[in-house]
Amino acid sequence: MAAQSRIVIFCGKGGTGKTTLSLSFGLHHAAAGRKVLVVSSHPLPELAVAVSLDGLAQRYPAAAQNLFVVHLEARELLAELVRNNFPVQWVARAILESDIYNNLVEVAPGLKEFYFLARLQQLAERKATAGDYANYDLLLWDAPATGHFLGTLRSAKAFETYLTGPLSVAGADLARFFSNAANIVLLPTTTLEEMALQETAEMCQALDQDFQLRPARVLLNLVSPVVAAAQDEVTRLSRDAEQSNDPALRFAVERGLVERQRASEARRQLGAPTVAVERAQHWSNDLDLLSQIGRTLAAVPVNA
Amino acid sequence: MKVTVYVGTGGVGKTSVAAATALARARTGIKSMVLTTDPALRLRSALRLQSGVLEQKVTLDPPSNGELWAGLLDVKTTLDEAVRLYGDPKLVDRILNHPIYATVANSLAGMQELMAVERIDQLRKRGFDNIVVDTAPSRHALEFLDKPVFFAGLASSNWVKLVGRSYQFVSRTGLASLGRKTVDLYARVEEILGANLVRQVLDFYSIFVSIAEGYAERAEKTVALLKDPSVTEFRVVTTPQKALRDARYFTDAMASRNFPVGVLFINRAWQPEPGPQSRDGLTGRLVDWYRAVRQAQYGEIERVRREYGGKVRRIAALPELDRDVDGLDALERIAGSLGELTASR
Repeated sequence: MAAQSRIVIFCGKGGTGKTTLSLSFGLHHAAAGRKVLVVSSHPLPELAVAVSLDGLAQRYPAAAQNLFVVHLEARELLAELVRNNFPVQWVARAILESDIYNNLVEVAPGLKEFYFLARLQQLAERKATAGDYANYDLLLWDAPATGHFLGTLRSAKAFETYLTGPLSVAGADLARFFSNAANIVLLPTTTLEEMALQETAEMCQALDQDFQLRPARVLLNLVSPVVAAAQDEVTRLSRDAEQSNDPALRFAVERGLVERQRASEARRQLGAPTVAVERAQHWSNDLDLLSQIGRTLAAVPVNA
Repeated sequence: MKVTVYVGTGGVGKTSVAAATALARARTGIKSMVLTTDPALRLRSALRLQSGVLEQKVTLDPPSNGELWAGLLDVKTTLDEAVRLYGDPKLVDRILNHPIYATVANSLAGMQELMAVERIDQLRKRGFDNIVVDTAPSRHALEFLDKPVFFAGLASSNWVKLVGRSYQFVSRTGLASLGRKTVDLYARVEEILGANLVRQVLDFYSIFVSIAEGYAERAEKTVALLKDPSVTEFRVVTTPQKALRDARYFTDAMASRNFPVGVLFINRAWQPEPGPQSRDGLTGRLVDWYRAVRQAQYGEIERVRREYGGKVRRIAALPELDRDVDGLDALERIAGSLGELTASR
């Protein structure tokens, strides 16, 4: 067990598959015997609707013991802070139930994001007194969609600049931590849709500018087999399509070629190798899908 | 006036469908506006939206009796405008230059949707017959139906008033004038959250309160408009892969707020069906893959029809367009497939 662990971040546009890919990655490593902690941006009941891990213990007993999925509720982190500061129960309760406290927590900009980040840092530095997942080998963050993700990271800097005193010092410390490439493995996740790529490029630019973070790999999700095929195969494919009058083949090829073109542009523009995750054809349940994708993601190095 | 609100998760083509809806309505001869947050480059160029421009009339070819307008929903700009319009002139500069103003504008949850509501109100007054709103690509977008309530609560809750006023009062007379119990609690909250932060926030809200009050009043009126089914229709855009989950989530989430979902568009269904000829190499792999994915798509669409056919007014699958259809042509094609003219209310 390392003293400190890098945070592997799955970030990107909403709907590109951050949750699915992070769980697939987690499942793959958990099945291989590593203890994996996935910090999900979704509250667990919501997550269960999106991706079901039902049957994990029966089908992947090793993974079931090693895979921990948690959601850090910022309000809960703040309440914990109150309780730690005021060991006398009724004082803590009076504060937590007061309008002043509740309204402030709701409207103070960046406050919840700030405490979330602080806890993430604690987890990475293994200072958090967490439960049975404290001694994990791999820490994954299934980050919220781009805007909120950047907002969360920026809350540290905002605290550093617009406040004074201890919170400002803490903000500076957090900002330093999340601007240090040694602490972070960045895995932008995108589809090859125009909008998703545009947002990914903007996000990567912001991450580079504001935090000096560059992607380790770019995960291209839901792509067709054309994206990762060899060039000579693609040449033959184009010829087949030209000679065919099957509209479906022409449609699929045209789509595939556009994607392939975009993938190569993305590699160049984002300055990182890409990993193509093909859109799955058959799966009988979510675990099946996760394990298929997990095999593709095995190529992503954890310490890249 | 008619308001159509599109909701849906990211990457489903919601913005294009919203723009196409506004286009179809403009073609019926009325003044139509699509409000969107962050259109893709291609859509931007289709609508000839220049960056930094908040609103623009789109030149249609062939021309139409109606008008198509495209508007960007930019939280900060809309809020700036609202502050200038409705703020106490003496306080406007203090608010706009307050150190936490920009952060509040951009980070307060639901602010984007609140500003959409604000814009609907402004557009209504300017004579738009039809407004199509493309909400932020998030499941949480629906919170905008709750947030005006939250905001109204915030403004009228004695909290902002009390804290705002007492802050002004305290800054003149000292904390002790608040009464011991409040001071006690206040001091403890400060101790935890940081005195600096608490004071900045209180200071800001103490000057923002007048705007919040006026805003809450207008927001409540607009939300009443959104609650009127003869004016507003809510529509979900999804893709075949997400259709069942999205249909389930959004119909439930909307029903719990007493807003029925009118239309469910399942976008980007692959249309052409591959022929029976078997092929080898990459071509074979691609065709097999295409066939399997397409089959799965139609399976999902069928399931959604079975489960939700009776629960919404209409379910329609929209085709994924060829990649070479671009710009306004693409929007016209989508507009044609929406069934707006025959099935619109």
